[in-house]
Order: sequence, then structure tokens, then C-alpha cells
Amino acid sequence: MKFYISKEWCLTAAELEAGANTLGAGILAMNPGPGEMASAPSSEGDEARIAFGQFVTLARRQRRLAIEALAKAADLDIGELLAIEQHDPHFAPEPRTVYQLANFFGVSRARLMELAGLTRPKNTAFVEQAIKFAARSASVAELNKEEQAVLEGLIKVLSEQDSR
Amino acid sequence: MTVTISPVVLRKVATNEAIDAELRDAIEQQQLFDWVLHWQPALYERLKALAAARVSPDNWPQSAHWNWVAKLNEIKDLLAHQTLCVVCEGMTQGLMRVDTVGKRCRLDSQKGLNLVYIDYLEVAPWNWDGPYFDPPRYRGIGTILLRAAIEIRLAEGFKGRIGLHSLPQSTTFYERCGLANRGPDAAYQSRLPYFEMTPEQVQAFLNRGSGK
Amino acid sequence: MTTSKRTMTLNLTDAEMRVLEELCSKKDLSKTSLLRQALRLYQLVEARIEKGDKLFFEDEKTKEKAEVMML
Repeated sequence: MKFYISKEWCLTAAELEAGANTLGAGILAMNPGPGEMASAPSSEGDEARIAFGQFVTLARRQRRLAIEALAKAADLDIGELLAIEQHDPHFAPEPRTVYQLANFFGVSRARLMELAGLTRPKNTAFVEQAIKFAARSASVAELNKEEQAVLEGLIKVLSEQDSR
Repeated sequence: MTVTISPVVLRKVATNEAIDAELRDAIEQQQLFDWVLHWQPALYERLKALAAARVSPDNWPQSAHWNWVAKLNEIKDLLAHQTLCVVCEGMTQGLMRVDTVGKRCRLDSQKGLNLVYIDYLEVAPWNWDGPYFDPPRYRGIGTILLRAAIEIRLAEGFKGRIGLHSLPQSTTFYERCGLANRGPDAAYQSRLPYFEMTPEQVQAFLNRGSGK
Repeated sequence: MTTSKRTMTLNLTDAEMRVLEELCSKKDLSKTSLLRQALRLYQLVEARIEKGDKLFFEDEKTKEKAEVMML
């Protein structure tokens, strides 16, 4: 489609933008969630939280559970699960939620808490490993081999003992 | 896919010159390359600056974790969605994705009527305007993309109505463009403010400048 | 996308034409616009269903969901 926009109009537009941030728009952009961020902002913290969300999504799909079903089975709030799975790094999950998820999926509670950014990791190498394993799959079908491998990697990392 | 290119003009802030740019009616591979190779690094620089200035993450540009590759995959081949971009001096400066089918107007005066909903609108990090950042490289990109969203279905009878959820940092911009601010949207967890434009506001917006 | 338009002739029954006109009036759209919108919506719904999603109507009061049957 062709647009006919005059130079004058463009320059007036530019003028009027001064001092106003035209950053953007988008409903899925923000998800402040119920709590404050527990740890200081850092891009690694954000990535860890994204890996946390990715783990929850993959582990859930491996069990062929819809978000609703997982919420019911693990006795969790659907809204919070949605926020976790939407990978919003600035959304801090409730500690109880992480505990329930760890129990449900059979992984270390302490490790999952660290990944979710709720506690400071004793061993940051673990966090780095978890991030490396997180895939960026947007598929909704059942897990493919790659995703399966990623999930296994994440579970392995989350199950490792502290004394390594 | 054939893209239609329309000439537009931006203001290059450093030199104050009016500079030719392109409004393109589709986001293509080149835009994704620019986003990955240039926008992302520039973005992280700015986020670090915000962190260093101890700005609360609640006030960080939330588009930081947007993934434009995913956004495009979601709407592959769908007529209901369209994408547009602005390119200047060989670099992508702004990206936009709209939904022309799935949303309806909410303002009482036009409730239920069709509108073009802006799913995502983002300008390159070096064009952001705000404290903690260097001055924007170019101005005019966001406004031009808004106009494109208005005009996409103008001929089909949508009367230029558009709707969007604004990032908190951008509400002044949309208000200045004349959109009605309906305030935080309780329907969504994010509570971003919802903006909508009426045909009258559209006309005022299109007539800005030398009464064209 | 280059807008090279293609033309089509459409035969509708009286009833269909009445519905079309009613919808156009309600939605303040021309017949062409409305039908183009319908096509876009149809493609969107088909794409989701192909992906495995289901289309529901939800009763606002009771929150009960009724599946919309799609072929």
C-alpha cells in the first residue's frame, strides 16, 4: 500500500515528538506482577528468569498439560503461571509458587528458587548453565527432540547437588 | 513478497537537517538482521545505563525483551495482521505490527466498531528520547508509523480509528498525537494505559502541519 | 505488498444480501470492506484451528464456554 505523506507533515511530526518518548506500544510488554523484584536488576538475572519460565513451559508440555491443568494440579494461580511462562523477566513469582512447581516437577527447590531470581545463587555458574540450556522455542506442539534435550539439560542442572 | 516503499522525511537531530527515509509496508529479513545486529546491542547499552543510574526496573523500557522474529512468525501469511517499518540511511529505525480484525473500539462514542489495533510499535534504541539517554538520532518515526496504522484501513471505512496499549514511557507522545487516554486497562494484568482515536481526532492528526 | 486488485463477481441469495446489508449498516462498512474483513477473520480462525486451538463463545454471566464448531 502506498502512503502519501508530505515533507511538511513529517517535519511537524518530528517537532512535536521533542521531549516525548515515542518508545512504543504493546500489551504484552509489561507485567509488573504482585511483588517487587527480590534481587537487583541485572541482565543475567533477567536471562535466568527467562530460563525459569522456559523450564516451566517445557516441563509442563512434556506432561501434556495445559496451563489450566498445571495450575489445578500444582495448586497455583493461573495468572501467575501465565506471567511466568510469558518470560517477563521483571515479574517476580511468589516463593510458594516456585516451591510448588519444584515439588510438582521433581527438581531441587533451592535451585529453582535461584533460577527464578528469588534468592541469590550461591554458585553463579549454575545460573549460567541454566541460561545456556534455555531454548527459544515458540512451538505449541508436543516437545520435539531439541526441546526434549533442552528440558533434560535444565532438569539435570536443577537437580545437581550444591557440593559440586 | 513485494514491498511498497513510500518516501517520508525524518529530522536528523544532530545536524537538524530534514532527511529522506522510507516507509515500507512490510517487515522483511533485512529488518530482522538490523534488529538482531544493531538494535539489541544498543538496547543493552541503554539498559545498563538505566541500571547504573539506579532506575527501578518498573521504569525500564519494557520492549527490551520483545522478539521480532517471534512476532513475525506468529502472523505469518495472515491477512488480518500487517507489519510496517521505517528505514533511514540504510538502517531500520522503527517497526510496527497491527491487527485489523481481532479488536473493536471501546470508546463509548464508537463502541464495537472496527479499528486497527497496534499490537507492537517500537523505535530503535538510539531514537529513544528521555533522561539517561543521549538525544535521539532521528525524530518523526513513531508519528509516521501511527499515521500508517491510521491509513491502512482508512479507504475501507474504518475512518482511521486506531487503538493501542501504551508503554508507560510513551503516554505523552500518544496524548500529543491526539489519542484519547482511557487509562490503565484493568482487563490486562499489565495495566498499561489504553489509547484510542476517534475520526475527529484522526482528521486533526492528519491535518497537522501546513493544513494538508 | 503491491495492491494489484483482482475482481470477482459474487452471487448472493436475497437472504444473504439482506444479512450483508444489515451487517454493513451496523458496522458502518461498505459491502466490499465487510467481505474482505470476513475473509481475513476466516483465515485467522482457520489458522488457529489448524494449530490445534479451539474457538469458544463464553457466556458473560455464567462464564460457561461453548465450543464453536468449525469444519
